[in-house]
Amino acid sequence: MDESSYWNRPTSHLLGSVPAVVNEESEASYGRRGGGGRGYQTLGPPTEGFDQQSQNNWKGVFSISSYTQYFDVDTDVVVNRLISSFYPAGGDFFNKIGANPDLYGLIWITTTLVFMLAAFGNCATYLIQKRTDRTTSWSFDVGYVNAAACGIYGYSLVVPVAFYFLLRYLGSNASLVRFLCMWGYSLSIFIPTAFLLLIPVEILRWIIILIAGTASSCFVTLNLTSYIGGSNDLRMMMIAAFLLQMALAIFIKAWFFP
Amino acid sequence: MSNSHSDTIPLHPSSQSDIDEIENLINASVQSGPATVLPARPPSPPRASIPVSSSPFIQSKIPPPPPQSSSSSNHKVPSVPAAPPPPPPVGNSSSIVATGFGPPPNTLTEPVWDTVKRDLSRIVSNLKLVVFPNPYREDPGKALRDWDLWGPFFFIVFLGLTLSWSASVKKSEVFAVAFALLAAGAIILTLNVLLLGGHIIFFQSLSLLGYCLFPLDIGALICLLKDNVIIKMIVVSVTLAWSSWAAYPFMSSAVNPRRKALALYPVFLMYVSVGFLIIAID
Repeated sequence: MDESSYWNRPTSHLLGSVPAVVNEESEASYGRRGGGGRGYQTLGPPTEGFDQQSQNNWKGVFSISSYTQYFDVDTDVVVNRLISSFYPAGGDFFNKIGANPDLYGLIWITTTLVFMLAAFGNCATYLIQKRTDRTTSWSFDVGYVNAAACGIYGYSLVVPVAFYFLLRYLGSNASLVRFLCMWGYSLSIFIPTAFLLLIPVEILRWIIILIAGTASSCFVTLNLTSYIGGSNDLRMMMIAAFLLQMALAIFIKAWFFP
Repeated sequence: MSNSHSDTIPLHPSSQSDIDEIENLINASVQSGPATVLPARPPSPPRASIPVSSSPFIQSKIPPPPPQSSSSSNHKVPSVPAAPPPPPPVGNSSSIVATGFGPPPNTLTEPVWDTVKRDLSRIVSNLKLVVFPNPYREDPGKALRDWDLWGPFFFIVFLGLTLSWSASVKKSEVFAVAFALLAAGAIILTLNVLLLGGHIIFFQSLSLLGYCLFPLDIGALICLLKDNVIIKMIVVSVTLAWSSWAAYPFMSSAVNPRRKALALYPVFLMYVSVGFLIIAID
């Protein structure tokens, strides 16, 4: 009784089995075995689907299988998108995403950035205080974690949603998931920047953050322009996106690396 | 007993009501030994909270033992109360299959020390299986079947307390950050694997990630006692590597090989952030 056959046996007829809300039963590939609910991984025959359709509308929010479509990426795809986000020129990010936007990048880039800002922010504050005053001792301010989490998560969630609703109101087609994806990847350039900002030379820090902020803002603006189509009404939106990203960069510098 | 089926519409062709099933078990156990009772178990996944399943993500060459033998191996301290109960394997299976029904379950009437001792021994055995991986052990999937959440709870709280003790200011905030990071982190890591299309059982994964914190607990304790930065860095690096090495086989075998790095990176990130907290708290 090898292990693969254990998962492939139809189990819907078994006593006490809970049919998981697994919709993508038609694809038999490994990567498509969506979540399967909370621990009851029944891979029932496709005829199971008929009694789940009626429940799908409201139950889909709480089942994992309805979100797996946003995480259907492999390692090389994610790395490819990351690398392309470092080069602001060329607004083809939305083409690169194509039909497969992923939220993996958004979640883990923001989380990494929160950790980096909290950790390196503390280190950098200590280093720059040490330069001015030889007697300061290391102290770890946990408030940095809170500030980083609120700032980065808030920005990366609120700004794409706001742009989505505004652009929808103004009539152009916009896709929320693609916006979230793009803004998430635009933050990836701040991760090596946080590392570089450890250098305790003030003027150098400002130069670094301005370069990074500009690159990130150009990435956002160019991609937004090429996706929406640059018409005059929407130019305000592009400028707003640019300014917001620059504001985030300045905030990072001012709060975490004073 | 069988008349009741005509009154109700069974949910499923093979379903029985709970009472009927218990009566069947009691009658069968009274008549004969476990041999006639146990075959009833394999078709049904147990309804109690412990999912007894062989894990797909430990590639063991050994076929997984049938569920009933693993459930009876759970109880290392078979407590046999003075009242005449069914024989222990049946008593265990009936108390697992029907929580709250059936004959007085052994686990309710036993002394508290027996319960605590059993849980502690399970924690220790899971710890040995998870944190000290031994490629020659006979049953690699055992830790996954006998998962529990007490061990992870102790380790997370202990780590939070140790960090809080080490901190000189904002002690309660440090504890809150550490606890939230670890608890939410374990849940999010499991969700991450599930969303990437991996095969993992939610509570098994929480349990494993909690047990893999044990090396970092030791590291935090050493850092609490010794306040030198260099020593802290060395200790934290070593324990971090150990934790990651313990967590690697479980996580990597749960997902598609092309997405292995996507599943492992967040685990590494969580342990690095905890390690940084340990070093940085003064």
